[in-house]
Amino acid sequence: MVMSVRDWAVRFSEASDRDQTIGAMAKYFTCTYLWDMGTAKVIVEMIDGKVYRINVDPAPMDAYDFALRASPQTWREFARPIPAPMFHGIWSASFRRDLKIEGNTLALMQNLRNFTVQFELLRKVGVPV
Amino acid sequence: MAKHSPVVGRYVTIDVDGYEYKVFYLRNGTGVPLVCQHTAGCHNHQWRGLLEDPEITANYDVIAYDLARHGKSDPPTNREWWKEEYLLTAEHFMNFITTFCEALELDRPIFMGSSFGGNVALQLALHHPDKFRAVIPVEAAEHAPGFFLDLWRHPHANAAQVCASGVWDLMAPQSPEMDRWQTWHYYTQGAEVFKGDLHFYSVDHDMRGQLGNIDTRRCPVIMMTGTYDYLTPPDATENTARQIPGGIYIEMEDIGHFPMSENYPLFAVYLKEALHIIENKTASSAPA
Repeated sequence: MVMSVRDWAVRFSEASDRDQTIGAMAKYFTCTYLWDMGTAKVIVEMIDGKVYRINVDPAPMDAYDFALRASPQTWREFARPIPAPMFHGIWSASFRRDLKIEGNTLALMQNLRNFTVQFELLRKVGVPV
Repeated sequence: MAKHSPVVGRYVTIDVDGYEYKVFYLRNGTGVPLVCQHTAGCHNHQWRGLLEDPEITANYDVIAYDLARHGKSDPPTNREWWKEEYLLTAEHFMNFITTFCEALELDRPIFMGSSFGGNVALQLALHHPDKFRAVIPVEAAEHAPGFFLDLWRHPHANAAQVCASGVWDLMAPQSPEMDRWQTWHYYTQGAEVFKGDLHFYSVDHDMRGQLGNIDTRRCPVIMMTGTYDYLTPPDATENTARQIPGGIYIEMEDIGHFPMSENYPLFAVYLKEALHIIENKTASSAPA
């Protein structure tokens, strides 16, 4: 059974906020990003390494710096404990699968170290699709 | 009691196309010289596991150098290098390697490189087949476009972290966490040269249509690629090897683009297979 996006937001926030690897370099990890999973969309707002807010029902004009868009199947692959080849990261999936990275990619690069760690939390938290 | 490694570091000064380079290299072992090239934007510590592998160093003289501008090898000492953009070319890269091997008076070494080191191994097999006993291109392909990107050293981002985390998922998730973070750490140290290295990797290196001219009777080619490599995925390497008459391809399960650095024990299994093939090939082709 697929978890609700609200439950996912709680679990993801807790996992991120207590992650030691993010915590070790959390200061200035500040950005807002959209994850478009097809049947679920979230906007995650990070401020100084902590999840400030997760918008689980984004409206068309809600703002973000950059977006990751892929099919629900791809997001489910991201969330496997050990993802299959080419589903094991945002670079691999954007080069070889259907992941699209859009928006201000410089903001992504400015936060890449922590964002990459945070993205891999999906392997523990799961996805709401 | 201090624990000393058998690996020894040394410098040698060489001239390559008028550029004077003071080159740092690590060395351990006796036997057939095995010269190792690190990946783009990195340095020779990627070969730390191989350099200390007693089974291989019993029969091979393992030499891992830092390419000029990487690790402990400085930029050219006779040029105002800071006044020009660094863009590595295939020709200069090959000239560096052959000059380095000549300076160390190596007798037809085996050359092994990963990623851009793998791509230059293919170039060496084509252009300098009589200078090398064999080549082992790791994570290589005839052409590898798409990674010559401005973002590697954008002044508005932390280039060290962009390079290190930008190559993070070139590694397999199964590889030990300690080794992946160690590789990440190495990649924080080469941000200023990464993009220039990738000029060779993604732009100047294009061997499409030339692979049929590689003579593997003079220089055997054993290609190896990990299943988690998204830059040169297994099918790209296999397709490259298939176009080389006598070319051999070994697929490495559950490992990525930095196999020697992210999971040496697993890489060693495949490397020993490659070395065994080379032993057989070079023994059978030796003059009577």
